[in-house]
Parts: sequence; C-alpha cells; structure tokens
Amino acid sequence: MSSIIIIAITAIVVLYLGLYKVKSALLPVSVLGLLGAAASLVCVWDKNISYFNDMLVFNNYAIAFSILLIATTILIFLLSGNYFEKISSNVAEYYTILLFALSGGVVMVSFQNMSMLFIGIEILSVSMYIMAGIKKTDSASNEAALKYFLMGSFATGILLFGIALIYGATGSFNLVQIAGKASEQPLLFYAGVIFMLIAMTFKVGVAPFHFWTPDVYQGAPTLVSSFMSTVVKTAGFAAFLRLFGSAFTSVPAIWTVTLVVMVVLTLLIGNITAAFQQNVKRMLAYSSISHAGYMLIAILLLGQASPNAILIYSVAYSIASVASFGVMVAVKEQKGSDDLSAFNGLGRTNPVLAFVMTVALCSLGGIPLTAGFFGKFYIFGVAIAANYTWLIAIAVLMAAVGIYYYFKVIIAMYLRESENSESIQLSLAYKFVLIFCIMITILLGIAPALITNIL
Amino acid sequence: MTLSILIFLPIAFMILVALLPSSLNHTFKYITLAVSIVQLIIAGFMYTHFNHSLPGVFNEQTFQFVEKHSWINLNLGTLGKLQIQYFLGVDGISIGLLILSAFVMAIAALASWEIKTNEKGYFCLFLLLNAAIMGVFSALDFFLFYIFYELMLLPLYFLIGIWGGARREYASIKFFLYTLLGSVFMLLVIIGLYFSVKDPVTGAHTFDMLSMMNPANYVQGSVFDIHSSTLLFGVSPRLLAFAVLFIAFAIKVPIVPLHTWLPDAHVEAPTPISIILAGVLLKIGGYGIIRICMGIFPDGAIYFSWVIGLIGVVSIIYGAMSALAASDLKRLIAYSSVSHMGFVLLGIASLTVEGISGAMFQMISHGVLSSMLFFLVGVIYNRVHDRDIANFRGLYSQMPTYSVFVFIAFFASLGLPGFSAFIAEAFSLIGAFNSNSIPRWMAVVGAVGILLGAAYFLWTLQRMFFGKTRFKGGEEWQSQLSDVNTREIIALSPMAVVALVLGIMPFLFFDMSNSAMVELVNSTLKSGSLHLETLSKLLN
Repeated sequence: MSSIIIIAITAIVVLYLGLYKVKSALLPVSVLGLLGAAASLVCVWDKNISYFNDMLVFNNYAIAFSILLIATTILIFLLSGNYFEKISSNVAEYYTILLFALSGGVVMVSFQNMSMLFIGIEILSVSMYIMAGIKKTDSASNEAALKYFLMGSFATGILLFGIALIYGATGSFNLVQIAGKASEQPLLFYAGVIFMLIAMTFKVGVAPFHFWTPDVYQGAPTLVSSFMSTVVKTAGFAAFLRLFGSAFTSVPAIWTVTLVVMVVLTLLIGNITAAFQQNVKRMLAYSSISHAGYMLIAILLLGQASPNAILIYSVAYSIASVASFGVMVAVKEQKGSDDLSAFNGLGRTNPVLAFVMTVALCSLGGIPLTAGFFGKFYIFGVAIAANYTWLIAIAVLMAAVGIYYYFKVIIAMYLRESENSESIQLSLAYKFVLIFCIMITILLGIAPALITNIL
Repeated sequence: MTLSILIFLPIAFMILVALLPSSLNHTFKYITLAVSIVQLIIAGFMYTHFNHSLPGVFNEQTFQFVEKHSWINLNLGTLGKLQIQYFLGVDGISIGLLILSAFVMAIAALASWEIKTNEKGYFCLFLLLNAAIMGVFSALDFFLFYIFYELMLLPLYFLIGIWGGARREYASIKFFLYTLLGSVFMLLVIIGLYFSVKDPVTGAHTFDMLSMMNPANYVQGSVFDIHSSTLLFGVSPRLLAFAVLFIAFAIKVPIVPLHTWLPDAHVEAPTPISIILAGVLLKIGGYGIIRICMGIFPDGAIYFSWVIGLIGVVSIIYGAMSALAASDLKRLIAYSSVSHMGFVLLGIASLTVEGISGAMFQMISHGVLSSMLFFLVGVIYNRVHDRDIANFRGLYSQMPTYSVFVFIAFFASLGLPGFSAFIAEAFSLIGAFNSNSIPRWMAVVGAVGILLGAAYFLWTLQRMFFGKTRFKGGEEWQSQLSDVNTREIIALSPMAVVALVLGIMPFLFFDMSNSAMVELVNSTLKSGSLHLETLSKLLN
C-alpha cells in the first residue's frame, strides 16, 4: 500500500516541479520516488498484508510483479534523458502521467476485489489514452489516441458489465468469495466470466481484440510505446492471471475453449503479420501481440506453475523490449526513421548498439542462453505436461517465424551497408540502461534459477 | 576437467580477443591457432588415456572423462522439479569425432589467414563456434546438448553472412532457417522426454540422455512410455518423436531433399567456414542420429530403417549426379559431401556392427578429406578469385605441388584402396549387404555411387589439371597462380597423412569404437524389437 502512496505522491511532486520549471530535477525525483516505492515493497516480502477489508492484498505475487513494473518504469525513465523535451515543452506531464499509470498498474497486480481491479485498470487506461495522443500536432498520434480511447472505453464497459453480472450471481466482489459461490447462479456467472474474459483480452491486446495495438504503438512516441508494451502488458497479464487463477478456477470448461482459440489466433496473426512489416516499430508492435499469445498459454493452463511462468516471461520480455525500443529511439534520432533500412550497417557504425539489439532480439526470439529462451521453455514445458501438444506444435512453429523476422533486423545491421558512417553518441544513463538490460538477459539465460523459484 | 577445459579454453580466449585493442589485429589469428593446437594436444592426451574396453553408450559407469554437476534446478510446482545437469563424458561414439573436431578446427584456423576484414569479430565468433562444437560432442544431458547445438548456429550464421561471398545473405538465412526449423521441433521432443523420464536416484524429472535410454526410467502412462497406448496425430508418439529427431539431425547431414542449404552455404562461405561445415558440422547430424535417435528410440531405428536406407541411397546417387553437373569446383565438392554422407545413413540403416562402424569411420574420413578438398579450393580462389572448372586448364604444369595434393585428395575421396574413404565405404556396404533390416539392392545401388564418384573426380582432374596450360584470366592469372606456400603445405600435409594412415591402419579408430558399436547394435536390436512388439500388441 505504501508503494502506491509513494508513487502517487511522487507524481504530484513532479507535477509541481514542472510548474516551477525545475526541469533538471524531474528525472532524479521520479527515480528516487520509484526506488523508494520498490524498497517499501521489498520490506513487506512474505508478510501477506491486506488492506481495506481485503480490497488489496500484497502477497508475494503482487510484490514480485509490482517490483518488475517499477523497475521497468525506472529503466524507461532513464532512457528518456532529453527525449520528451524534444517532443514538447511540458515535460513534467509525461513523468506525472506515466507515474499515475504505474500506480494503476500496482493496484492491478495487488487487487483482491473486483472494484479495485476496475479502478486499477481505469487509472492505467486513462493515463495511456492521454499518452497515446500526447503529440498534439501529429495526426498519427491523434488517430491512435482516438482509436485507443473509443475501443478501450467500450472494453471497459464490457468489463463493468461482467463485474456486475458476477456480482449478481455471487453477491460479492471479493475473489475468494466469488470462487466459493461460482455454482449458485451458473448462467449469470458464466456470462459474466465471458464478458470479463473479453475485456481482459482486449486490455492485453490479444487477437481478435488486437486491432488497436499496432496503430497505437506506432502513433505514440516510441518510449511511450515501450511503456505500453512492457508495463501495461505485464500489469494486464498479472491481473488477468490473478482474476482467473483465484476466482474462476472452478469453471475452466467455460472459458478454456475460447482461450485456446484466442491463443492460436494471436500466435498466427501476431507472428505472420510481423513477418511482413518493413517498419521496425510496427514489427515490434505485432511481435508484442504474439508475445501476448505465449503468455496467454500460461493462463490457459492455470496451475501452480502459472504465476512463475508469467513472471519469468514478463521479466525476459520487458527487459528485452526496453533494450530494443531504446536502440530504436537512438537510431530514429539519428536517421529520422525507424524503417528496417535505417538499421543498415549499424553493426559497423555502432557496434555496441547493434550488439545490444542483437541480444535483445535473440531473447525476444527465444534463442538459448538468453532469458527469453527460458520464458518460452517454461511455458512450453508446462503446456506439454498438460497434454497440449498440438497447441505447442503451433507455438513452436510460430516461434520459428518469430526468429525469422527478428533476424531481418540483425541481417540489416550486420550484412547491409549503411549510407552514412557516423556513429551515434549516447548519454551515460542511456548506455547504462542498455548494458544493464543485456547483462540481465544473459545472466538469466545462464542462471534462470535466480528468479524462477521466487513464487 | 579435461572436457571442460576443451570447451571453455576457446571461450576464455574469445574474451581475451574481444578485450584486446584492434591495433593488435595481426595477433588474433595466432591466438586462435594456439588455442586449436592446445585443444589438439588435449585431444591427443584423451586418445592415449582412452580405455578401449569400456563400451559407454548406455551406462554412465563406462563413460570416460565424466563430469557431472547440477546446473539449473527450477521448481515447477505440482509438476515437480526441473533438473538440468552439466553432464559431460565421452565413449567410443564421441571420442573419434571430438579428436576430428580439434584437428579440423586447427586446419580451419590455418585457413583463416585469408580473412582480412574485421578480424576481431571473425576470431571471436570462430572461437565461440569452436567451444560450441566441443560441447555438442561431449554433452550427455539433452538440454545441455541442445544449448550447444543452438549456440553453434549463431556464430556460423554471422561467419557466413558477414565474411561470405556475393550471395552470402541468402545463403546464411537459408542455412539458419533450415537448421532452426529442425531444432525447434527437437525442443518439443526434449520437453516431452523430460516429462516422461525420471532419474532413478533422485526421483526428479531429468534431461539426462542415459536415463532416457533406459525404458525402466519412464513414468507409467507418460507420452513416451513404451506401454502407453496414447496416440499423437494418429501415430505412436515414440515413432513420431524418432521421426522428428531424425529430420532435425538429417537436415544437418544433409539428406536429399533437405540438402539445398548445403551447396549455397558452402559456395558462399569463406574457406575456413566451408572446412568447418563439411569437416565437423555435417558430422553432428550423424552423431545425433546414432547417439540420440537410436539410443533413445531403438524401436524407431528398426521401424524406419528401410526409409533411412532409402534416403541414404538417394542421397548417394543424387549427390553424385549433381556433382557431375556442377560447374563451380566448390559446388562440386559440396555435392560430393552429400553423396559421401549418404553412406553414413546407409551404414546406420543397416543396424549391423560393420555398417555402423563404417558409418562412423566414414564421418571421420570424410571430415578429414572434405576439409582437405575445401582447403584446396580455397588455395586457387584466394589467388584469382575464381573457381569455375571451365576457367582452368593444365594446372599441373603451373602448380605441381598443389596438383599432387589435389591428386591425393581426389583419389582418396573416390575410394582408392589404401585411403580411409575406401575402408569406410566398404564397411558401410558390407553392413548393408549383411543387414536384415534393409534389402540388398540398396547396397548395390550404393556401390554404383562409388562409381559415379570416380567419374566426377576423374573428369574434374582431366578438365582442370591435364592438358596445355590455359586460363581464362590469361597472363595475369598465370602470374597470380603461384604454387602452395609453406603455411598451406603445413596445413595440407597432416590431412593427407591422416587419410593415408587411417586407410592403412583403420584399427587405430576401430579399436577405439568397437566395444561401443557392439553394445549399441546389440542393445538397439534387442530392445527395439521388444518395444515394437509391445507397440503392435497395444495397437491391435
């Protein structure tokens, strides 16, 4: 709880700092606030504290995911350096809105009550609608925001409807009580489950509710897209699993079939569409859809191993995404484009950037000795144990397609010649984030046991 | 510790090369060569200390130079613990290939003198590849094997893609995707095996290959349990798994029709990488089939032996025909590799001690001879940057010493008695003739392949080396085509000597592998037919 308060207060302080034009203090204050929030979470590890009549429960699951969200946000903030200043003069609002979004994310991973879930999702979503449209003069950004807002509010409506139906069926918002009364009003309950399933899959960008993802990712400023594809997605999945893992376990037959179809669709659409993209940012947007498909498999197989599987996958995916988006921001700043051709010859002109990108893409593709491999391996392992062999056969085939499009970027970097041979100058914080990300990626690839036995 | 040193020595020096400033460019090749020579010495030490009477194959006690440490332990909740071990060891199957790898890597390091651009990146990747290759041949944990197997892919991809010829981009991605497609499905089988097998000592699920080879360790009713009657896609999961693993490894061998990456990769790769591809990489396919496919799924080896034999025969004939039609010397040799590796499959399909020993020997012999052939092509290519057969004539009078090496390599490769390839092909064919599992005509057709081999090699000799000296590049080429220098002689002589020594004294290898082969064949036949019987009972 104290972490949510710290994050919210930091956000307000940052807003005021912006009012008094102390631009240089924005980043340090935000990072300090986030570190404080993370520290307050570490202190309550294993304590299982609940607040407000079990509205929020900070168990280890919530703490682990909250820390992941906060750490990812810190990395993205460190990358931002003077990125936001180039887009707009009101930098403070970027930090503030992202911090508010983060506090929504923390609520989402620690809720024990449907109303808190709704509040968390709304805090996160409203912030993200604003962030998507923050480039006021850019029509792509406006389109993204409008699209995101219209579809998102529709999904929120469906979510609310689902919550209402479940409340009608069970008379409770509390996850544990809902699970206990699942069979009292089956029809209402099942309808509610399906409504909530649709709303949650929309929020995490799973096919067939994925249409907003590519446009929003491409329209939003790149660092905001990286926030969406890491923090928002991780929070969404953690909430999804928490909801289905504790409230709806007794009626898996109702939603597993729907979910299986969604997994297959997501994997096919995400990967195959990504393979045809010529713009790296759009390619990463589609690939993030496909990653949602892999993570959905873990939810499909609700079991003791699911939280771990989602945690490992999101750690690997978040870190690799931050690194790859970071490289993309640097490339775009110099070349003015994030098309595939902008990466030509990067291996010669900027060996460090190219190496970071290579490791990050290998991790996203799931090449051994990177964290991403263990993420996939763990999920496939759990699925095979549950006799979903055919599903995993599709997933593996799609993973191979994934490696094909990730390697298109690597090919461009190492095998093509670039027109200009200037190297890109990076700030110290930027270099630190990139190197840190790939160190973690490789470390977790060699010794995954560091995080796998947490939950 | 010996095997760990063999694997991690190149990695240590890779870090050193990466840290050294680029101004020391010229020293990198010496560092790499020194690493390879030390590895060769270690391999020699292993050869002298190898106990010939211990069979290995199925029994951990009879493996040698064993290292076993716990590496990754993941808690899968209700699914138990995931136990991955750092488990290395050699037996009669792997020792020969390990020594061959050290030898070929040293030759490839000598051939790397031709690399003139971005040396640092090249030698870093070269050393990483070296480590991965050693790891593949010594890993006994399936997961560890898979990691090394994939780790090999990345450096090769970059080595072909960055330092290759004109169509390098196409060749490297084709090579990468072919291998990857095989290996991702291999991963599925690995995971399936993992959930089917329990370590008899700890009771945890394990990736230990040797535990997977013992039917007693399978969990009752699991996917790959012999007594389980579940079907996957309408077939027995065990047979399906054998097929998947076989295809994954056969892409590397390569077999017709999955061979099309090979000519492209060979033609575009720089000489040292062609040497590694032909000398070591193709052998990993054969090694995988013998150690993993046959060892874990003996029922599949018997069930599919006819198909494997047929694929082998088709590869022999098709490879030889394509070599006859090739106009590029390097492409010709690449296709001859397809043809020669067909004998490995034929030998494996025969399921006899002679046949499989012949297959193993063919892998060693082909490793040495194809390295020599690719090195020889590299010699001409470095001088005039052309290797079309039609552009050269009368090379013998221009480069006499070089031509002598070519004669040795060609005659050895076409199976002249006295050289290693003769023994290897003869044993594979004898095995195929005596085999109960494949029909005789396969051996006969395989023998025709030797004839075709003689045809393309002799025809090439005739076209390029005999007659009056005439080159496409005229006077300019004549001045550039100097005879082999000392470094090249140092690299070529050991290969010629090894081919000859193995041809005259094949027992140097057979003594080492024989007990393993006897154990492998007997046990495969016994438990394989037992499993098949159980299977047919279950299905009817």
